[in-house]
Amino acid sequence: MKTIIAFLSVLVMFVLVIPANAGGKGELQKHFSNIANKVKATENVAEKRAILENSFKDMSEALDKVQSSFLVSKEDQDGIENLKVTLKENQDELAGINGYERVPDSQLNNFSSYVVQNMEQADETITISVVALVLIILLVILLL
Amino acid sequence: MRFCCLAIVVILSSCSSDIVLKSESQQDTGSAFETKYSIIFVIHGDGDYLYHDTSGNNYNADEETLKNAKKVAMENPNAEVFIFHQKSSKHFMFFFPLKDGEFFYYRNGQLIANELYWRDQEKSNFDNEVRYYQSFHSVNQNKFINMFLYFGHQIPEFGGVGYDESYPDRKFTIDNLAIGLKDLTIDSSKFDLTILGTCFGGTPYTIRKLGSFSQTIIASPENLHLSYFDLSSLERLNINLKNEDVPSFAKRFAQQSFNKLTKNVQTEVSVVVYDVEKVQNFLNSVQNDYNITLDSLKGMTEANLLKIKHCDCSDIPVHKISTINNGVDVFYRPARFGRSKNKQNHSGWECWKY
Repeated sequence: MKTIIAFLSVLVMFVLVIPANAGGKGELQKHFSNIANKVKATENVAEKRAILENSFKDMSEALDKVQSSFLVSKEDQDGIENLKVTLKENQDELAGINGYERVPDSQLNNFSSYVVQNMEQADETITISVVALVLIILLVILLL
Repeated sequence: MRFCCLAIVVILSSCSSDIVLKSESQQDTGSAFETKYSIIFVIHGDGDYLYHDTSGNNYNADEETLKNAKKVAMENPNAEVFIFHQKSSKHFMFFFPLKDGEFFYYRNGQLIANELYWRDQEKSNFDNEVRYYQSFHSVNQNKFINMFLYFGHQIPEFGGVGYDESYPDRKFTIDNLAIGLKDLTIDSSKFDLTILGTCFGGTPYTIRKLGSFSQTIIASPENLHLSYFDLSSLERLNINLKNEDVPSFAKRFAQQSFNKLTKNVQTEVSVVVYDVEKVQNFLNSVQNDYNITLDSLKGMTEANLLKIKHCDCSDIPVHKISTINNGVDVFYRPARFGRSKNKQNHSGWECWKY
């Protein structure tokens, strides 16, 4: 019970701290931008690939958890489902499965930028509420 | 206590009062700086407009566009420039609402007026923006070259609830934008050039609606990155638009924007110039089918609508007709990654995959 109260308190503080116009979506974008920066900062190709793979995995787990949470609405669940589809496509392309050509090693920096830009212009995140977005970010931070 | 009340009144008035720097007669003086161009910018900033460049630096699209629009205004000695920045609603001390719009008026490269104003509180038809335009617009014996530019998120073709983050119940659709354009073209039949800086602007419905008030339109049929179009060719119009050939200028503007976007963006880039007169045959041919699709979509729930995606109109057999390429100049590059990375061409028209 104490854990739930502590978690909800952190959530409320997070919601109050994030400016309304950032709408939580900004935090999600910042997360992907940080991942892209990490990818570009390393010269090691295997490390670049691992950073991307792990970030997709962590985000997928966070999305699954939030989607099944009692705190999110049906609309949020639908929005999250769309976000998961986009993320899964990125994962598949990185790995070269489900009809995708594997992203070449030389293109991993550009691919990380593509993920950020695609996320920034994705209309599905707009339909996710601030609370759900904050939950996603909190869980991603906890998973890291 | 009296001092506190006085202080609050002073603070409130300083937060919300209008700031008119200089008032001038509307009559153009016919000097060396004769006004030949009239440009209106509407920059929507009431939403999430955050984006990152490839180095991880973050920007707000509306703030960046405002900066570039001001540069256009200052670099044009022969223009009058109206800039409307539609901002998020904010409150002073949680209770006192602050004005949610800011207006700038430049003439001959000089800032003439800068005022905070209230945007429409119910329907978004640009009523207050039109009022400013009518108050400040120069009177000129010669015909102006008129341009209208809008920057923001995709403007819905129906529904439109929640376009403004601060006003979740207020609606804004392409129809509302068209009403605004109608009111802004009171002294001329049409804008010479309309630039729509939004995602999915090149649909048959949108171009038909805006085409009633524009001769040439530049829009992006696919997603448009928030760095928007390159505005630098709008600077120094007395050189860049010297021969007054607006369609040729529009193509140069589109090419320059395309070059900049393809250099910086890994996602799909599409910039299209529509010659409104020449696209009429295509628009008339697809109007019925497109409207039937829109009517079907209007009846859907939000959840189902999320599953309906856009596509190139040429992917829909009934829209792939001989006139589809008439009157459009298409600058297109597919996304570097994703399912459509091998798509080589775009018709310039975006439809619903339904």
